[in-house]
Amino acid sequence: MADTFQNLLLGFQVALQWNVLGYAFAGCVIGTLVGMMPGLGPLAGISLLLPATFGLNPIIAMVLLGGVYYGAMYGGSTTSILMRIPGEAASVMTCVDGYAMTQNGRAGAALAIAAIGSFVAGTFGVIGLMLLAPTLAALALRFGPPEYTALLMMGFFILAYMSGGSMPKTLAMAAFGLLLGMIGIDAMTGYTRFSFGVIELGDGVGIVPVAVGLFGISEILMTAAAGEGPKVRIPKFRELMPSAREFKDSVGPIARGSLLGFLIGIIPGSAHVISSFVSYGLERRLSKHPERFGKGAIEGVAGPESANNSAATGAFVPMMALGIPTGPVTAVMIAAVMVHGISPGPTMIQNQPELFWGFVASMYVGNVVLLILNLPLVGLFVNLLRIPYAYLYPGILCFCILGCYSVSNSVVDVWIMLIMGGVGYALRKFGYDLAPVALGLVLAPMLELSLRQSLAMSAGDYTIFLQRPIALTMLCLGVLLLLLGLKPLLSKKKDWRSKVGLDEVPD
Amino acid sequence: MLTDGDTLIMLARLAAAVCLVLTPLSALSQESFPNRPISVVVPFPPGGMADLSARPLSVSMEQVLKQPVVVVNKAGASGAVGIQNVANSKPDGYTIMVSLVSFSTIPEVDEMFGRKPAYSRDQFTPIALLAADPPVLAVGAGTPWKSVKELVEDAKKRPGEIVYSHSGLYGPSHLPMEMFLHAAGVRMRQVPAVGGGPAMTLVLGGNAAMWSSPPAMALQHVQSQKIRVLASWGAKRHAAFPDAPTLKELGYDVEFYVWSGVFAPKGVAEPTVTILRDAVRKAVAFPEFKTSMAKVQTPVMYLDGPEFKQFLEKDARMLSTAIKRIGRIEDKK
Repeated sequence: MADTFQNLLLGFQVALQWNVLGYAFAGCVIGTLVGMMPGLGPLAGISLLLPATFGLNPIIAMVLLGGVYYGAMYGGSTTSILMRIPGEAASVMTCVDGYAMTQNGRAGAALAIAAIGSFVAGTFGVIGLMLLAPTLAALALRFGPPEYTALLMMGFFILAYMSGGSMPKTLAMAAFGLLLGMIGIDAMTGYTRFSFGVIELGDGVGIVPVAVGLFGISEILMTAAAGEGPKVRIPKFRELMPSAREFKDSVGPIARGSLLGFLIGIIPGSAHVISSFVSYGLERRLSKHPERFGKGAIEGVAGPESANNSAATGAFVPMMALGIPTGPVTAVMIAAVMVHGISPGPTMIQNQPELFWGFVASMYVGNVVLLILNLPLVGLFVNLLRIPYAYLYPGILCFCILGCYSVSNSVVDVWIMLIMGGVGYALRKFGYDLAPVALGLVLAPMLELSLRQSLAMSAGDYTIFLQRPIALTMLCLGVLLLLLGLKPLLSKKKDWRSKVGLDEVPD
Repeated sequence: MLTDGDTLIMLARLAAAVCLVLTPLSALSQESFPNRPISVVVPFPPGGMADLSARPLSVSMEQVLKQPVVVVNKAGASGAVGIQNVANSKPDGYTIMVSLVSFSTIPEVDEMFGRKPAYSRDQFTPIALLAADPPVLAVGAGTPWKSVKELVEDAKKRPGEIVYSHSGLYGPSHLPMEMFLHAAGVRMRQVPAVGGGPAMTLVLGGNAAMWSSPPAMALQHVQSQKIRVLASWGAKRHAAFPDAPTLKELGYDVEFYVWSGVFAPKGVAEPTVTILRDAVRKAVAFPEFKTSMAKVQTPVMYLDGPEFKQFLEKDARMLSTAIKRIGRIEDKK
């Protein structure tokens, strides 16, 4: 413990040098902007900045890119809450209740809670990274394909709770998402599926163009079709801050979201998107008033936003402690230090303590910077709603198209986004909930790969899922969740039947 | 929003336009190449081997050609998207490409699956080979084998039971393993991952026994004793692993390199190709280029256009045989 303290002191000495501090600040600002830009997520931001870091020293490169990464996680919530346009994939869930809060005139509170939750979760994540990196990294490694399959199965059980509307409609949308996820080269046989000769579809349909299209473009179309602008009440200044009740309701979700996000974040495989879905499902399950979800429940903003921030920090654990990337973002960051002749991993913490501890300390600093940056800006952001829709929405449409294109310089992505916008518009007109589509699309390729990897490992023997303790535990939890979900269906049969197909989805 | 690259290109174009106005007419009349910025397309995401050799190359080439040389990442479908893009670009020498070994394998795989190929190899003129890195055979710390001999003996006793991972079917870590297994006459099971990082993770976590790893990736895990390196696929021993014999030494006739090379689309005028070849040759000799490559532990192996062409042909024949031998995975079941 004394060691840790001493090391952290060393870290702060590095992180508080004016030039490092400057780059941390720049990274946070760029990250926030990138996160706010529809379509541009942390990966795009980091990839675009990477070449610029080759000329810097490795500590500054890490601090800058790290700032962009968790800054994007903060920024992603802003457009989700104000305009129902996810800034990046992990804020899809925030769209649901965040935007509903904006419609209720609580935009300021939602933004403030998102920023506070992100700060708490980010700081919690850094403490976890600092104290537990080596221990947790070993655990993360044991997360092989069977464990991943079990985790994703749990994700599917949670999916069952996600929608406020009718079960057949939710399942139809989840199936639609899963089918979209089938597009692309089959990693196990090399066949291309449903790509119709379009080479860009070989990698499958990306979550970013689909999410921006389904949520963002469809919202713009809805507004245009409504004739008059949506009735968004612009809050007065004193209403910007969350009320005492909202604070109280957020404490639990933030705490749970932080822990959950961190644990999911350390698992290799781009899990931070899942973390926000899981947190949303969990909060809805635990809530005494689950019917409020989808209509502006603060818990639905606090939980997922905290989860995706602590997952972002958690993702650094295996990268720092083992030198293995948890996802594309950390892979790019590894490249950023590799060009300086340093490989992240256990040897790095020993040989380059100022790099590791400097980075950790800069994350404390970065989180404070982001909080200071984001809280006062809440008032400014809310003013975006004052811009007449005739100007605001065409501008946003342009940003959506440019952001989507710049992720991989691909026109095909732009078409996917526009088509999904039309699809989303039609589905919403018929009262379908769109979140299950996004979750299905995220989960389908991951589940397929890990399931088939598991079976390749065991030569087709399904008992591999029962022989591994972590996988078995998670599957049991999943089945338990499923049974709990079925209970109301069985005991209140009549009520359930009367609901099917009759309930309108609140939108 | 403009990407960095686009902004740079625009700025560079502006600068070039200003230069043109200021240049005396006599210099212009020679129509000298290059008189505007050159884009180097990398058909892979930033941070990969192709990207990490293209960036220092572009910096050095700028100094030789006195024109901006801009790296543009155009990733997708294991490289096919970007390569096809360059194949169909205007053959004026202002669009060139740094690609990896997948350049030779993608058309083969397309052909085997009866797909319309994304591009064909003869749509390109080879400019130069930049680097060639033989992978190493990395086994997890939990495995019993201390040498290739022990591994092969064990694998013979239980065919199809040992599991190896790779970064993607018919990719640069799948092919060398298949070539080795064929030469050794043993069978193993394969678990595909998506990318090198996840493939290494499977080995580190004990979910797969081994994979053919890029040396730079293996090095740090060897130092922390999480994996052991039993052999390498090169013609001679790898500098970073002097104790690991080559498979050739051990009597298996296999050789494999993950190479990166510079290409121009076919149809670029001969004088322009010569200028590009000269520029790459000079750039590769820059100490800055060598230092950058050393830092990412990628051995420079320079071959000029004609020799690179020969290397390509020999390499492609070998890869084609290996791919056909693997065949369509599904047909085997």
